[in-house]
Amino acid sequence: MHDVTHAVRRRRDLIIAAVLISVAACVPLFVKDVYVQNIMVLTLMYAALSQSWNILGGYCGQISLGHALYFGLGAYTTAILLTKFGVLPWFGMLAGGLISALIALALGYPTFRLGGHYFAIATIVIAEIAYLLFLNWDWAGAALGIDIPVREDSWLRFQFTRSKLPYFYFALAFAAVAWLVTWWLENSKWGYWWRAVKDNPEAAESLGVVVFKSKMGAGAISAFLTAIGGAFYAMFVSYIDPESVMSFQFSLLISLPAVVGGIGTLWGPVLGAAVLIPVTELTRSFIGGSGRGVDLIVYGGLIIIISLTRPDGLLGLFSRKRKKEAVR
Amino acid sequence: MTALLETRGVWQRFGGLVANSDVSISVGRGEIVGLIGPNGAGKSTLFNLIAGVRPPTQGTIWFDGHDITATPATERCRVGIARTFQVVKSFETMTVIDNVIVGALVRNTVMREARRKAFEVLEFTGLSARADVPASELIPSEKRRLEVARALATEPKLLLLDEVLTGLTPLEAQTGVELVRRVRETGVTVLMVEHVMEIVMPLVDRAIVLDLGKVLVEGKPTDIVRDPKVITAYLGDRHAVGA
Repeated sequence: MHDVTHAVRRRRDLIIAAVLISVAACVPLFVKDVYVQNIMVLTLMYAALSQSWNILGGYCGQISLGHALYFGLGAYTTAILLTKFGVLPWFGMLAGGLISALIALALGYPTFRLGGHYFAIATIVIAEIAYLLFLNWDWAGAALGIDIPVREDSWLRFQFTRSKLPYFYFALAFAAVAWLVTWWLENSKWGYWWRAVKDNPEAAESLGVVVFKSKMGAGAISAFLTAIGGAFYAMFVSYIDPESVMSFQFSLLISLPAVVGGIGTLWGPVLGAAVLIPVTELTRSFIGGSGRGVDLIVYGGLIIIISLTRPDGLLGLFSRKRKKEAVR
Repeated sequence: MTALLETRGVWQRFGGLVANSDVSISVGRGEIVGLIGPNGAGKSTLFNLIAGVRPPTQGTIWFDGHDITATPATERCRVGIARTFQVVKSFETMTVIDNVIVGALVRNTVMREARRKAFEVLEFTGLSARADVPASELIPSEKRRLEVARALATEPKLLLLDEVLTGLTPLEAQTGVELVRRVRETGVTVLMVEHVMEIVMPLVDRAIVLDLGKVLVEGKPTDIVRDPKVITAYLGDRHAVGA
């Protein structure tokens, strides 16, 4: 009886996702405005990035504020391989993902021994060091960055100048894959191990959970997916420098949707990105030009209001109703 | 047949403090053994050594014919030792059944089987009606039962209970006592630390009394409660005179 309701709930999530993806895929048929399409691409990209971050930060409870590192590595690997070696971005994307995963393992080896806030601080510092290294690394363009030469539109080279739609569909696919990976992991041994590690490492160990290995696994998967997003972003904007792909603000932009939407939940990152990214972009376009930072005040204010009224994230708006049903 | 669990000359020192000195105990298969003693007797230290929290300073621990002295805590539940915590350590953000699934994953690799096993254990421990509730919403006695359920889901040969009956109402404690008896009926050996004598004594087959880090006496509960040495340890010399 019980496992039936569980299976039903899992299938319901899958159906909702399928419907949302189908609806999203149709939106460009009606929305022709390039500016709005741009916002949609970014929203989907951050939904996917935050979903990736959520695997380590939300499920496994290891709050990383340095994911800009993996985002930047994905972007740089793709851009360098393409401009210097003529490697297609699809392979660059994969290479960036693998490099990031390996770096995540190497960095995890010392940092996953740190508890709580110390881990978060270490991630900030490490990402900042990487940022400075890239800022001074001449071969990788240093502060000038890398310009990806624009040629004819091509799926092979993943470059499109006439339309944003290919980027949109890639971002949608990326978000769908990140969601699906999370959906699958949530009901796997790893998913259970991660949540156990987050809630109580000592109890987890007594139940056979290999805490360190769990963290390493979460870190590698999270970094891999984040780098895919970085690779996509590099092709999307066709110019990268340390400031635009590796600065601290990306670490925040990647983690915030999950935190605001509902940390450690399947739908939190999607919901958080759907609210935060359009607000960021719209406030920046319409009131950001004043130079007084009004857009950031609005953005910050929104986050404060959400964290005060819905400390568990926006998803709490939905689950409260569900809880009432359960009580009945 | 050899004992299921044996500690041989186990010492545990913390700096200058000797928490366990030369402790040799054994627990036979199918027994319910009580590990009792006044506060500071070294019960929890010994318990943690058996659970694998840290290796003893000296001595060896044997389980099911193997030396497990160096086996880390994570591995011990695979060997067949499961434990509960004195201060409950539920996975608060997870539902009750998800808590138990973590334990069930030790012996079940397929999720569906782990879930089924977990639900079985919840029914056994009387928590099945609470399966989908977050662990944070359980009342204290339910959390204690969840600790036991999680441990049982690992399908242990030996269940280590750390003061699971302490701090419960008499009725709750009685339910707990019955649960421990039923656990034993399924073939699981139980070693329990308690310091409330009147609850454990009717339950255990044998009691081991620790005092000042050493084994003071061991034997049938009825003999233990009359032993002058035990009375002295618990109540001081004055009360032992009349015994």
